[in-house]
Amino acid sequence: MTAAIAFAGVHKSFAGTPVLHDLSLAIAPGSFTALVGASGSGKTTTLRLVNRLIDPDGGTVHVGGDAVDALPAPMLRRRIGYVFQGIGLFPHLTVAENIGITPRLLGWDKPRIAARIAELLGLVALPADYAPRLPAALSGGERQRVGLARALAAAPRLMLMDEPMGALDPVTRDTLGRDYQALHQSLGLTTLMVTHDIQEALLLADRIIVMSAGRIVADATPRALLAGPAPPQAAALIAVAARQSAAIAALGQSAADG
Amino acid sequence: MDDRLAAALAALPAALAAHIVLSAAALALAMLVALPLAVRAARRPRLRALALGLAGTVQTVPALALLALFYPLLLAASALTRPLGLTLPALGFLPSLLALALFAILPMLRNAVEGLIGLDPAVLEAADAVGMTRAQRLRLVELPLAAPVVMAGIRTAAVWTIGTATLATTVGQTCLGNLIFTGLQTEDWVGVLVGCLAAALLAIVVDALLALVQHGLSPLRPARLALAGGTLALGTAAALAALAPASNTTNRIGAKNFGEQFILAALIRDRLAATGAQAQIRSGLGSAVAFRALAASDIDVYVDYSGTLWTNVLARTDTPPPAVLRAQLTKALAAKPGIRVLGPLGFENAYALAMRRDRATQFGIRSIADLARAAPGLTLGADLEFLGRPEWRGIAQAYHLRFARSRAYSPTFMYRALADGSVDVISAFSSDGRIASQDLIVLADPAHAIPSYDALILISPARAHDARLAAALSPLIGRIPVERMRAANLMVDRDANKLTPDAAARWLDPAQRR
Repeated sequence: MTAAIAFAGVHKSFAGTPVLHDLSLAIAPGSFTALVGASGSGKTTTLRLVNRLIDPDGGTVHVGGDAVDALPAPMLRRRIGYVFQGIGLFPHLTVAENIGITPRLLGWDKPRIAARIAELLGLVALPADYAPRLPAALSGGERQRVGLARALAAAPRLMLMDEPMGALDPVTRDTLGRDYQALHQSLGLTTLMVTHDIQEALLLADRIIVMSAGRIVADATPRALLAGPAPPQAAALIAVAARQSAAIAALGQSAADG
Repeated sequence: MDDRLAAALAALPAALAAHIVLSAAALALAMLVALPLAVRAARRPRLRALALGLAGTVQTVPALALLALFYPLLLAASALTRPLGLTLPALGFLPSLLALALFAILPMLRNAVEGLIGLDPAVLEAADAVGMTRAQRLRLVELPLAAPVVMAGIRTAAVWTIGTATLATTVGQTCLGNLIFTGLQTEDWVGVLVGCLAAALLAIVVDALLALVQHGLSPLRPARLALAGGTLALGTAAALAALAPASNTTNRIGAKNFGEQFILAALIRDRLAATGAQAQIRSGLGSAVAFRALAASDIDVYVDYSGTLWTNVLARTDTPPPAVLRAQLTKALAAKPGIRVLGPLGFENAYALAMRRDRATQFGIRSIADLARAAPGLTLGADLEFLGRPEWRGIAQAYHLRFARSRAYSPTFMYRALADGSVDVISAFSSDGRIASQDLIVLADPAHAIPSYDALILISPARAHDARLAAALSPLIGRIPVERMRAANLMVDRDANKLTPDAAARWLDPAQRR
């Protein structure tokens, strides 16, 4: 089976400082992969190489079996969903116009775009009467739902997410995370998500890749990762998650006892 | 009073139309340069620093100086392009357009660059990520979001351009400045006020319409945009239509910056009108500018004075008798650059040094030779050109004249300064009505340092063989004695019961006399 994403021997430096060393990686279609690691580990760079927001210094990146530079970058990006912490809704366009932007760039006709917008508002659990509103009138969680709808609008097979829930409160974050996980399943998407939150990664993804200083240091299912043994850089991350969960569980127990 | 208001209001429509067309063209040109440059500069920090630095430097040049600079620049450019069969007009619309556009670029460029580089990086990242091309990103995201800031720059430039366009008068472009400058020279404050109010009102209306455009852009309100944009376009089109018939086969009459010249230009215009020919006056020109404009056929006709051309154009320092000087001058100008001296009007307007009678008596001064003794304790008041002219160097050298101080004034204020004692001696004009009315003494010139200054009608090389033009103006030759010119000048310059140059020209016209 052709990999949804394939990296082969990819190098990247910024201003002479290497951030990725000889990265090779294959992502299977339909998988939900989390890229975790500390700031500067190279995880965001890896993600942005896929839709060519960054171009590699060496090596190749393929999406769905085709080299990413086979097409002009805008054509490639219209086939890939992208959601990021900054959201970046267009402030002068309505919710509907924001969601419909990629279909518009692809030249869909108006009725088809309108139908797609209505469908997506339902899919991301936003009321239909939000369509004519401007982004400024929405809450942070609602805005990221619009950002998600915009990324899904042209029915991409592949979704790239860069700390998509990073700026949201914990409750909104949990709800949106689980809602997205359901969409990933029902729409048969391939998802590559960057996060620095190991708990989020463990709960949402089916594959976890831990990066450190531009290299992959662990690559396993959540279950296998928790079972160990893990290399030191990954072990520290997992230990934090395990300790926090245990502490909360113990607190809950003592509250119930008391 | 009513006469002056009527004259100002009669001159207003043509001046306003020309002012609107000039301002609109300058703003359009500035936008064509500034906005594409801003898009490129926003992406390239080094180009940005260079462009903003250059535009900022231009802004430090006084507007009047920039207008004046374009005159020699265009003359030089015209000399270069002439072999290609292209002559650039160095006077009037083109230099005004270029100078105003150059000034308008900075506010537009600065605001557009700020508007573009100040955009939220997350929005730009999203624009790339949803699959926009560079051009789509600019059109769909960057320009709409930067539009309010860009428009604010355009508004600043528009208000500034409409105000500064009044200075275009000085390079011979008709505009609202004509009312202001002519009014200033003849102390016609009604004309000045009408010109200023019209310019201010125009600026306010245009600013309000551009504000409407600005508010119609973000969020997009097509009705407002159409209303404001339509009104602006309609106003410009109406001004253009009002100008169109006057712009071809029209005689262009030059006038320097004082009352006598305004009267004579009006007289020439009336004579041409009597033969059915169109004419347009370009007033407020400096001596050198007027002559070079005629030599380049940028104007068709104006009146200059033999001594002025003798010393300034031919660079002669001798002072032959008037008839000899005139004959030699006529020959020299016909040879190069082909200017036709149609003939003398019949009066002389010589440079002369004049004093108040009481002051002259007090110092016992009757001639410039007497003045030379007392001069180290006295102050000289001169018009704006005099101290830079060869005549002054000739006089100063011949009599070893040295004043304690010298001050330059526009002619009207020079007479004022003499009257109130701010200066002791002035560079007067012998045909000036104020010499008699203010009881001034004209100092004798025993050394004949000052040449004769017969008023001559000059015709440009391009029209030198135009028999119709010559026939229309020939009736003026020898028909204006100095007494009548002085009386006409006084009608315009006096404080009470003042006439407009047009009314004085009608009074002076020999054809109106029975």
